[in-house]
Amino acid sequence: MKRRDIIRRAGRSLRQAKARTLLTSLAIGVGAFTLSVSLAAGEGSRQYADKLISSNVNSQALFVYKDKTLMGEGGFSSGGLKEYSDSTTQYGGLNLKSLTPKDLEVLSNDKDIEKVLPMYLVTAQYFTFEGKSKKYTADISVYDSTVRAEAAVGTLPPLGTQIKDDEIVVPESFLDTLGVKDKKSYVGKEVTLHLVKQKQPTEEEIAQVVKTQGPAALAQLVESEARDVTFRISGVTKNSATSLSASSALFIAENSAKELSDFLTEGTAKYQSYIAATAIVKAGVDPATVKARLAGKGMEARTAKDLQGLLFTIVNLLQGIVAGFGLLALFASIFGIINTQYISVLERTQQIGLMKALGMRSKDVAKLFRYEAAWIGFLGGVIGAATAWGLGTSLNPWITDQLGLGAGNHLLVFLPLPIVALVVGLMVIAVVAGYFPARKAAKLDPIEALRTE
Amino acid sequence: MIEVRDLTKTYGKKNNKFVALDDVSFEIPSGATVAIVGKSGSGKSTLMHAISGLDRPETGEVIIDGEDILKLKKKAVDTFRATKMSFIFQSFFVQANETCYDNVSLPLEIARVPKKDRKRRVTEALEAVELGDKIKSKARNLSGGQKQRLAIARAIVNKPKILFADEPTGNLDSTTGDVIEKLLFDYNKKQGTTLIIVTHDHELAEKCDLRVYIRDGKITEIKRKEAPKHTDKKPLGSSRRTV
Repeated sequence: MKRRDIIRRAGRSLRQAKARTLLTSLAIGVGAFTLSVSLAAGEGSRQYADKLISSNVNSQALFVYKDKTLMGEGGFSSGGLKEYSDSTTQYGGLNLKSLTPKDLEVLSNDKDIEKVLPMYLVTAQYFTFEGKSKKYTADISVYDSTVRAEAAVGTLPPLGTQIKDDEIVVPESFLDTLGVKDKKSYVGKEVTLHLVKQKQPTEEEIAQVVKTQGPAALAQLVESEARDVTFRISGVTKNSATSLSASSALFIAENSAKELSDFLTEGTAKYQSYIAATAIVKAGVDPATVKARLAGKGMEARTAKDLQGLLFTIVNLLQGIVAGFGLLALFASIFGIINTQYISVLERTQQIGLMKALGMRSKDVAKLFRYEAAWIGFLGGVIGAATAWGLGTSLNPWITDQLGLGAGNHLLVFLPLPIVALVVGLMVIAVVAGYFPARKAAKLDPIEALRTE
Repeated sequence: MIEVRDLTKTYGKKNNKFVALDDVSFEIPSGATVAIVGKSGSGKSTLMHAISGLDRPETGEVIIDGEDILKLKKKAVDTFRATKMSFIFQSFFVQANETCYDNVSLPLEIARVPKKDRKRRVTEALEAVELGDKIKSKARNLSGGQKQRLAIARAIVNKPKILFADEPTGNLDSTTGDVIEKLLFDYNKKQGTTLIIVTHDHELAEKCDLRVYIRDGKITEIKRKEAPKHTDKKPLGSSRRTV
């Protein structure tokens, strides 16, 4: 019997037992649905993470640092015994090895590195906006000229160009918080940062002062020094769902950041030491090769891809959990197929006997039942995947809204290829499940099957 | 020509041993009509299964046109049945859920007849049993007689050399039974197909050229039809085959 005829007859047999076929398919459909959703969620998360990273990180950028705990290696909370280093910086209660001026020089001299941007730590005690009486706090960052940002009002320099030293870029959300109605006219207004430097004299200095000027002079030595710096708002960045930094910090020019950082750290161990730096690798050079080279020089580095990898690990884990449930459902449905097909063989004993009497080979009889199982798998796969696709697509806007992913981002992204692969996979699983019933049918004795008494 | 030689078939083991066929031998000329007559349990069905290659007796030979089908491999026997034999059963065994077309098309599909030829042959077969108008009807909507006619259409569609009929009229009233009998004998006459009828109906057996009486697995008597009752009937053994 020709394969096509067997497939056709298999399909027809299933149509003649519609309810049973449908119910068995639905069992597989549940598994297919879960797996489709997990595939879609994985794809959606990856796309979202991709967007998140590409709109925050330059793909040619290397995040260079010295202390492994900075990126969570060995665990953030690891407070165990660590080797003392002269270049250790206190940061957020953590002792971190930092990049020394010498390290920065190594980076700058690397032939493949175009530019080195240390991570300046500028913390203002508070800042004020022109025309507003309240004091505010927020992070202060260096304007990232390598990532494209959109201006809501005002102007932002073209890609690759820094803002001027006396300029500051403010996120749109800050103006919303301030209650600025006419955002356009707010461009050009002033922002004043109030910086306070806490002197950290070394033990030697303290000893020196006490020795020469007496204990009273000590107060003057640790006295704080304040400084107000004023910037002019040149642009306001648009609120972006995927750009994290653009909506949470004030941006100042690199030179200003360096100056302020130096002011804040002068006379302390932190002076001109940075916990991390961003190195921009020349176009056409794979950041990974530079990363490997830096590792030989005692510096850790992360490429944009590595950062992606970190996010993807979490995504993959979550996807794996959902897929696990789907596989469990599939596993259960396998028994459904076996059961259905066994019943089908019993019901159609005479038909099988007749076909064998008419000269149909046992091999073809087995094929007939295996193809029936494949049809069930196909149907279940299509039902599950189509339901997931339809439901997912229609629920996407709601999910995006609930999770605050931002317009244009979807949690569930359905791609045709994985779905097709899923359906084919289910057909294979169904055929495997149909193996035993098919073998029973093939082994059936036609004489016994056709006995009427 | 079918030669059956020394067929022995037993069921069960040792104490429960049951001899279904005991050293059976006889010959059937090509194109003949044969009745295998016996009571229920006499071994007549086993004999039919052996001749058709469905069953494999322990000893003996079934030589059809010079070839011992019991020595053939399973695959070859299947092909043999698909192309040269057909069956009609007491309980029809038509697929009630399928259309008449699909029922009759089954043997052609099994014999791997190309699709383009199938339609014509199915139509011809259904017309031969006067079911041409039922080609698209579901078999379940047919009466008993129509079902058996459908079974005959299915049996003749692959133009078999041997047609086995196992109590073909057993489930039918006498009028309908007569129609079926007529169809079978007419087909035998027209196509020269060897017709082997298994029955316990002596009246039906009387109409056959050859009657093989079987009892407890042994042939008790072989009767040949004496003077031809129908004047139009040519003598046995002459070449009447028109395939």
